[in-house]
Amino acid sequence: MLTSGPVVVMQVPEILNVKEVESFMQELGPLLESNRPRIVLDCSQVRLMESAGVEMLLRCLEEVLKRDGDLKLAALSPEAEVILELMRVARVFETFQTCEDAVRSFNAIPADAVPQNTPWYANVFNELGVVKQAS
Amino acid sequence: MLGAIIIADCIDEAEGTNHSAEPAGQVLWACVDVLGQSVIARVADQLRRESCDAVFVARPDMRKQHGANDAWNGASAHAAELKQEGFETVLIVRCGAYAEVNSAEMLAFHRERGAGLTRSVRSGEPLDWWMIDSSLLLEDQPIQAALRGQEEASYPASGYVNRMESAYDLRRLVLDSFSSRCGLRPHATELRPGIWISEGAHIARSARIVAPSFIGRDVLVSDECLITRGSNVEHDCRIDFGTAVEDSSILPNTYIGIGLDVSHSIVHGSNLLNLRHNVTLQITDPVVMRQHSGRAGDRSWSDIGRQEFAMSSAE
Repeated sequence: MLTSGPVVVMQVPEILNVKEVESFMQELGPLLESNRPRIVLDCSQVRLMESAGVEMLLRCLEEVLKRDGDLKLAALSPEAEVILELMRVARVFETFQTCEDAVRSFNAIPADAVPQNTPWYANVFNELGVVKQAS
Repeated sequence: MLGAIIIADCIDEAEGTNHSAEPAGQVLWACVDVLGQSVIARVADQLRRESCDAVFVARPDMRKQHGANDAWNGASAHAAELKQEGFETVLIVRCGAYAEVNSAEMLAFHRERGAGLTRSVRSGEPLDWWMIDSSLLLEDQPIQAALRGQEEASYPASGYVNRMESAYDLRRLVLDSFSSRCGLRPHATELRPGIWISEGAHIARSARIVAPSFIGRDVLVSDECLITRGSNVEHDCRIDFGTAVEDSSILPNTYIGIGLDVSHSIVHGSNLLNLRHNVTLQITDPVVMRQHSGRAGDRSWSDIGRQEFAMSSAE
């Protein structure tokens, strides 16, 4: 059975420049190295994101995917949305309106894990098969 | 004889209000190049072609603390000059808005009414186009007082009006021009239907320009770029490799970096105003966006239009 840690929600700083990226990575770095990391980045406070910040997000996503985890963005501020769209990386990330939605998305059960009921027509074919055999 | 004074101003001195509530509300949008020429320059050209024997443009001096008032002070000085030279009627236009008002018809209406002061209105809303008999302009009285102090006749204008109070109005003007909803035509050659290219523009072979679009004078559009959906790239801009510009206005002397997606925005130097999210950003990374001309320092939104105006008024 595969195990993974809890979902970690981290607040992205207001200004994501080279200096802030360095200090933010000091906190985030250890989480990226865990087994199947599940991380939500709360971007509600972001006012300025330089290219260093975008690069950081992409690097983090790459790292978590390598470890079979995922990184999602939540509550994107308008400024953050504009920057991500400008740099053409908005579609690379899964984004959510709120952190709760992002966290909940990690616990959603995938469709193929749910046992499917037998379809209604299955018995019809079975009966036809019995009739044919009888005749 | 009819003389005209165009006042470049975003503050309605006559009413005492600033119409725009946006962060970039102090931008003189009428001074910004739209499809190759600013609204003020277009109005001046139009008045010279029509009925005006002299056209003056009064601009604000933003080096001073209350420089915006200088536009009106300058207008007062020009009005006195016109009166001295024997002009019977003076047309005063606060630009402001882009309005297609027929000045010859307005003059005929003004003379017929004999009211002394006539103001243009559109759909019941007043426009900042006044026609005043020069006898009502007193030497020691500012022009605003003359405009407020008289009973005015209302000339019903029927042409296109765009109040140019916000960035959204600028984009609307561009799109209305492309779809011929107004008389404003791009100041360029229409090389293909809906694609206007100005002199000196260089477009790489693999770049795609999709109609309707406007490429200004001396613009460089690099390989694999896409300019589409009613975008206008004004003079002396550089659009670098692989960038897409969609439904956006790139104002003069702007460099847009590699592989970007500029959509629903107005960009000037390192300032980006996204109209969909209603957000203004200052891009600090010069690799992404920057002023192109090499002039010292970056300009804020409040400088837009003023510097362009200073350039155009020197012509």
